Amino acid sequence: MQAETSQISDNDLLKAIARGDEAALTDCYDRYRLILFSLILRILHDRHEAEDVLQEVFLQVWRRAKDFDESRGRAFTWLVTIARSRALDRVRASGSRARLATEAEANPPDRVGDAAEDAVRSEEAAVVRQALAELPEEQRRTLLMAYFEGLTQSEIAARLGDPLGTVKTRMRSGLMKLRELLREQTRDRKH
Amino acid sequence: MTHNDYQELLAAYALDALDPVESRALGEHLSSCVQCRQELVTLRDTSALLAHAATTQAPGDHVRAQILASVRAEAAHTRPAQVVQMPARAQTSWPNLLRLAAAIAFVALLAGVIVLWQRDTRLQGEVARLSRQVEAQQSDLERDRDLMTHQKEALALLTSTNTKKIELNGTQVAQNARATVMFDEKTGRAMLFTQGLPALAADKAYEVWFIPKGHAPMPGKVFTVDPSGHAMITDQMPPEAMNNAVIAITIEPKSGSAAPTGAIYLASPAS
Repeated sequence: MQAETSQISDNDLLKAIARGDEAALTDCYDRYRLILFSLILRILHDRHEAEDVLQEVFLQVWRRAKDFDESRGRAFTWLVTIARSRALDRVRASGSRARLATEAEANPPDRVGDAAEDAVRSEEAAVVRQALAELPEEQRRTLLMAYFEGLTQSEIAARLGDPLGTVKTRMRSGLMKLRELLREQTRDRKH
Repeated sequence: MTHNDYQELLAAYALDALDPVESRALGEHLSSCVQCRQELVTLRDTSALLAHAATTQAPGDHVRAQILASVRAEAAHTRPAQVVQMPARAQTSWPNLLRLAAAIAFVALLAGVIVLWQRDTRLQGEVARLSRQVEAQQSDLERDRDLMTHQKEALALLTSTNTKKIELNGTQVAQNARATVMFDEKTGRAMLFTQGLPALAADKAYEVWFIPKGHAPMPGKVFTVDPSGHAMITDQMPPEAMNNAVIAITIEPKSGSAAPTGAIYLASPAS
């Protein structure tokens, strides 16, 4: 069963969930629980809250799977976007972003994660971490602050004491470079 | 801003990091620019991959079971399938609305009934009043009809060539009383008009007598008068009385008498 379901594409999985297929939902959970929980925990810094939000995320996936439109991005992007938004909403709703930001700075993300259960996910993670490692430090930092702390360019400029224009350039260059690196990596792996 | 200016904002937009004003402006541009929308899709896919930068952590095993339980609980409320789910479905918002509507309708009905009941009470009073009025009008009408009948008869009698007229004079007990009898010699239809007759006690009435020569008095109509002493009655004159009979009016018990018992109030002169 496990081998069989893992062959189903993410898009088909979401379509099955949209039809009310409970098994598809649990498959989806098993496939994405690590990456989504890690993301949520990285934003919230609280296991209990992160598990709570993870539950909310999959309930939302269950209810909104029919809204997924593959022409507007990958299923992975759709799932991760829901998780990030939910987690950031929770941060904004419950307490000081400044405190969490301080904690975040005290606990910079590991460049290399522990061995993941899902080999495919793990491989993708390794590729992304490798690409991130190739970015200039300032660009990587700007991207991660925006992504995990939900800060705007102005907020990042204020936090770092850098000119807004500089932050804008770093963010744009960083994401374009990352996209390019990932494309290269994907091509390399295919060869 | 030019298309290139917008394109430069796409990366920050993909990270939700644009300030609100720029974000709104780009949102409008995106609605009309396919190229920027396509670019945005790839940038979003790229930024989503940043999630991999987080240290991998596993959620507790209970989360999976909780998600499944929540999903099943929700499905029990939304799916229209099994019989066992009927009570749960009965508690969804639509039947509650129906219940509310029913409650409102019931209250409205109750209010309506009370209003109608009050109105009914008023109406019953009104109906009673109206039926009394109708009865009164009916008796008025009957009186009018009688009057008209009398007047027609009187007119017929007055214009007939066969009509005879007899004057009655008040006696000692009713000196101001007068009466006129008109009758048709051929048919015997007669009318009597009185004036100045005294009002009577409730148990008394006047009675008409026809007294042909050599006959005992023959009883005619029993009648009463209005407060001014007027009466107008029709009667059928007995054939024996058609020729030279004396006509007299006496006071009698209310039900009338077979033979005169009381005083004579009016009488025609004996011929």
